[in-house]
Amino acid sequence: MTRAITARGRVGSWALNLVAVVGLVYLFVPIVWIVVFSFNRPNGRYNIVWQRFTLDNWLDPFADADLTDAFQRSLKIAAISTAVAVVLGSMIALALSRYRFRGLAGYNLFLVLPLTTPEVVLGSSLATLFIDWDVTRGFTTVVIAHIMFQVSFVALTVRARVRGFDWTLEQAAQDLGASPLVTFRRVTFPLILPGVLAAALLSFALSIDDFIITLFNAGSETTFPLYINGSFRVQFPPQANVLATVVLLVSVALMLFGVLRSIRRKATAR
Amino acid sequence: MSQPHEPRRPRPARWNRRQLLARGGALGAAGFSLPALLAACGDDDDGGASGTGSTTGSTAGGTAAPGTTAAGGTAAGSGEGGELFFENWPEYIDVTEDGLVGTVDRFAEATGIAMRYTDAFSDNVEYFALIQPVLGRGDTIEPDIIAPTSWLAGRLINLGWVDKLPLDQVPNAANLRTDLQNPAWDPTGEYSLPWQTGITGIAYNLDATGRELTSVADLFDPEFKGRIGMLTEMRDTVGLLLNWLGVDQSTLTTFDEAAEAFDRLAQAKADGQIRAFTGNDYLDDLSTGNFAACIGWSGDVVQLSLENPAVRFIIPDEGGNSWADTMVMPKGAANRDQAAKWMDFVYDPVQAAQITAWVQYVSPVAGLQEEVAKLDPELAESPLLFPDEETLARLSTFANLSEDVEAEFDAAFSEITGA
Amino acid sequence: MSEPDPTPWAEDTLTRRAQRGSEWFGLATLLGAGALILAIGMRLVTGALAAVAVVVLVGFVVALIVAAVAGGLEARRRLAPYGLLKPGTLFLVLFYLAPLFSLLRSSLSTLPSRFAVEAEFDWNFGNYGDAFSDFGAQFGRGFLYAGIATVLCVLIGYPLAYVIAFRSGRWRNLLLGLVVVPFFTSYLIRTIAWSSLLADAGPIAGSVRWLHLTGLLEAAQVMDNGRLINTPAAVIGGLTYNFLPFMILPIYVSLEKVSPALVDAAQDLYSSGFRAFRKVVLPLSIPGVFAGTLLTFIPAAGDFVNAEYLGNPNTTMIGNSIQDQFLVQNNVPLASAMSFVLMVIITVAVLIYTTFLGTEELT
Repeated sequence: MTRAITARGRVGSWALNLVAVVGLVYLFVPIVWIVVFSFNRPNGRYNIVWQRFTLDNWLDPFADADLTDAFQRSLKIAAISTAVAVVLGSMIALALSRYRFRGLAGYNLFLVLPLTTPEVVLGSSLATLFIDWDVTRGFTTVVIAHIMFQVSFVALTVRARVRGFDWTLEQAAQDLGASPLVTFRRVTFPLILPGVLAAALLSFALSIDDFIITLFNAGSETTFPLYINGSFRVQFPPQANVLATVVLLVSVALMLFGVLRSIRRKATAR
Repeated sequence: MSQPHEPRRPRPARWNRRQLLARGGALGAAGFSLPALLAACGDDDDGGASGTGSTTGSTAGGTAAPGTTAAGGTAAGSGEGGELFFENWPEYIDVTEDGLVGTVDRFAEATGIAMRYTDAFSDNVEYFALIQPVLGRGDTIEPDIIAPTSWLAGRLINLGWVDKLPLDQVPNAANLRTDLQNPAWDPTGEYSLPWQTGITGIAYNLDATGRELTSVADLFDPEFKGRIGMLTEMRDTVGLLLNWLGVDQSTLTTFDEAAEAFDRLAQAKADGQIRAFTGNDYLDDLSTGNFAACIGWSGDVVQLSLENPAVRFIIPDEGGNSWADTMVMPKGAANRDQAAKWMDFVYDPVQAAQITAWVQYVSPVAGLQEEVAKLDPELAESPLLFPDEETLARLSTFANLSEDVEAEFDAAFSEITGA
Repeated sequence: MSEPDPTPWAEDTLTRRAQRGSEWFGLATLLGAGALILAIGMRLVTGALAAVAVVVLVGFVVALIVAAVAGGLEARRRLAPYGLLKPGTLFLVLFYLAPLFSLLRSSLSTLPSRFAVEAEFDWNFGNYGDAFSDFGAQFGRGFLYAGIATVLCVLIGYPLAYVIAFRSGRWRNLLLGLVVVPFFTSYLIRTIAWSSLLADAGPIAGSVRWLHLTGLLEAAQVMDNGRLINTPAAVIGGLTYNFLPFMILPIYVSLEKVSPALVDAAQDLYSSGFRAFRKVVLPLSIPGVFAGTLLTFIPAAGDFVNAEYLGNPNTTMIGNSIQDQFLVQNNVPLASAMSFVLMVIITVAVLIYTTFLGTEELT
C-alpha cells in the first residue's frame, strides 16, 4: 500500500484494533471463569465465590452422583440425536447443493425457519404436540426435540461447506465406469465428510448445552443443564465446572486436530 | 489434474476450515468418555428412569467440604425389607455426620429397608406443577411419601390424588399433637401425618442491617431498599403482611379482604424494595448479605445462625405464621408397608427428638421436651422449638380457601412475583 | 461458482418435457407426503382416516422410489433431490410445523377446571386477551432488552468481525476458532459465570466501588442500589454476551466475500479510511448485519435464562412468563397464546425488516 497513512487514520486503526481485542476478551471472560472456578473449593454449596485452590474437583469429577448421571444422560441424548440429525441433514444438504430443482428457494426458507423461531416457541409448541398426542414427555421426546433443531443446523452447515464443490468429479467417476453407489462411497462421501463432521461436532455440543427446548419437553427426565438449573436453588457444585471444562477441552482438541490435519493435507498436496 | 481457472475466492463458508475433523472424531469423543464415566460411577444404567438407584449405604458427596450436606439425596439400606422413596424439603432431616447416625441410616439399619431420601421440594407450586401432569392422568409418581405444606396436601386430598395412609400399621401415630389432629386440610385425618411444623417470621443478617429488627414494617424500610427477600410461598408472605395490616388471616373468605396486602406488596416490588422472591434458597443470600432481611422459616434460620451468629430469626411484633408440612402418599404408591414402618419410626419420641434437635423445627410429636433435653438441654427451652402459650398466641394460620378464591389469590400473587 | 447440476440440458423437447414431468412428479410426492404428515400430526385426521393417510403417505414414498428405479438415469437425476429431501423434510414437518398448529389449537382451548390436565378446544380467544392484558409489560421488556442487546452486539461484534476479516492475516482461523469456542460451553453455566462475576462480593463490583464509579453507573441506570447483578443492565449484558457469536459470524462471512483489492481501491478513492469503509465495505456487509441482527434479536426476545439468573422481579421477560405459565402454573392454553403471539410479532417484525433491507439470504 503506497498511500500515506494519516495520523487520524492511524489512531482510528489503533482504536479499531483495541475495540476488537476488548470484544475478544469480553467473549472469554466467562469461559476463563468456568475453567478457573473448576479449581475452586467453595465453603458452602455454591461455587460462586473464590475460596481456595484445589485439585480435588478434578481428581474426583464424578463426586456428585446426580450431576454425573444427568451428564451421562446428556451425552446419550446428544449421541443419538446427532447421529440421526447428521444423516437427515446431510441428505438435505446434498439435495440443496448438488441439484437444481423446483421449489429450491421456498425450501431454503422452510429450512431456516426453525433457526429463526425463538426457542421458547419451539419448545412450547413441540410440548403441545406431545400433549395432544398424549405422549408422556421424557427421554424420547427430548431426543426428538433435539433432532428437530439440529437437522436445519446440520443441513445449512454442510451445505455451506459443500458449496462450490466441483460436482463434475462425480461425473468423471461415472464416466470411468463407477456405479452410483461406488461413486458415492469413493468420491462424494469423502468430499462432504469434513463438513459433515464439523456439523456433527457443533450440533453435538448444542445438544449437550440445550436448555430451553429441553426444559419444555423433558417431563421428569434430567439432562446436564436441567439438573444444574433445577438444583441451583440448593447448590452449584464445582464438579459442574469440571464437566463443562471437559466438554470444552475435548471439543477444542477435536477442532485443533482437524485443523492440523487439513494443514498437513495442504502441505502434502503441494 | 489441475485446470487453469480464475483465482479462487475464499469460500463463503459459514463455518470455516477450522472445523475440519478426523473421521469419527466427534463420535470418538463420546465413545471414549462414556465408558470412562460408566466405569467411574458404577451406576447400573437403566436407560429410562432418572436418578441413582444404588442400594449400598452411602451418602453422596463424600468429598464435599465439611459442613455441607448431601444435596443430591441419600440412599441407604440393604433392601431386604423392601424399598421406600421419600421426597422431602432440604435440610429437613438429621444426617450422618460428626459421629451421629442420621435418621435415614438408623431406619435402614433397624428395618433393612432400602431407603431413598431426596430433597427435591423447594417450592410447593413448583412441585405441584411437576406432579400434576402425571397424577392428573392417573399415573403414579416415583416417591412413596412426599411432604407438601398443609394447603397443598389439602388440595391433593380434594383432587383425590393421594391414598389413605396405612395408619393401622402406625401405632405411634397416637403421639400426634392434639392441635394437629383432624386438621382443616384433612378433616378425617386419614390422608396425612405431619412431618414437621414451623413458624414463619423475619430473618435478618445483623451485619447487613446494622440494627435489630422487630416488625414487618422493617421489611419496607427504605434503608434496606433492594436488599429484602420475600417468599414465593404466597401464604407466608401475604400472611405476614395481613398480620401487619391488622387483618385476621385465619378467617379469610374473599380476595378483597386481602387486597390491601397485595397492593402494598406490589408497590414494594415496583419500588425495587424487594430484591427477589425465593423458595427455600434464601439462606445463602441471607448469609452473604445479599439480603439484609427476608421472610424465612424458623428451623432453617436457626440452623444457619448456629454457623453464622449474625443471622437472627424473630417473630414480628404483629405476629408470625404457623404452618405444617405433612406426609402424604401419592396415589398408587407401592411401598405401603415400608411407608407405615417409616412413619411409625419417626413418630417414636426417641427418633423424633433426634430429628428435632437437628432441624430445629416444631415437632408434631407430643411430649418431646424430655427427650430433646437429654440431647441438648438448651434446645429444650427454646420457644421456637417448643412454643409456650404466649408464643402460640402470636401465631396465626392461613385460612383454608376455596378453589376459586385460591385462584384469585394465586393469580394476584403471581403477577407480583413477576412470573 | 460451478453449476450444481452437471446434467446437460436436453436437446430435444420430448426429453425436456419428460425431465420437467419427472420434476413435477418428484415435487408432488414431496409436497403430498408433507401435507399428509402434517394432517396426521395436527390430528386433523384420526382413527381409520389416519390409517388411510399413513397408507397414502407410504404410497407417495414408494412411488418416488419406483419411479427412480424404473425411469433410468435421467429420471434418477431429476428425482434424486426429492428423495434425499424426504426424510428430513417429513421429520421437520411433523416436529416443527405440526407443533405450531397444535400450539395454535392449544391457545384457543380452555381448561375445564383449574387443575385439569387436558384442555378442550373451543375457539376461546379469551386467552389472547389475557396474554396482552396481563403480560403486556413482559412482552415490552422482552423486545426492549433484546433490542438493546442486539444493538450492543452490533457495536461490539462488527469491529471484531472486521478485524478478523481484514486484519488478522495468518491468525484468521485461530481468531475464528476463538469466537466459536463459547458455543462449546454450557449456556447455563456461562450465565451463572456472569452471576458470579457481577455479584456484590465479586471482582467487577469491587473494582467499580474502588474506582468510585458507583454514582456514575447508578445515574446511567447500570447499577441499582449499589449492585450490578439483579438489574436490567445485568440481564441485557447477559443477553449481549450470549448472542455475540451469532452476530460476529454472519458479519464475518459477508465481509470475507469482499475482496481486499476492492478495499484498497476504495481507500485510494476516498480521502479517509472511514469514508472508504462507509461507502464501500459497509453496504457490502449489510446482508451479514441483517442476518446477525435476526439471529440475535429473535432468540434474545424469547429468552428467560438471563432474566432468571441475573434479573429481579421487575425485569421478567415474556420468556419467563411463558415458562411459568406453561410449566409451573400449568396453564397451557394461556402459555400457548403468549407463545403464539410472540412468534407472530417476531415474524411480522422480520417481514418488515426484510422489506427494508431486501430479501437477503440468511445463510
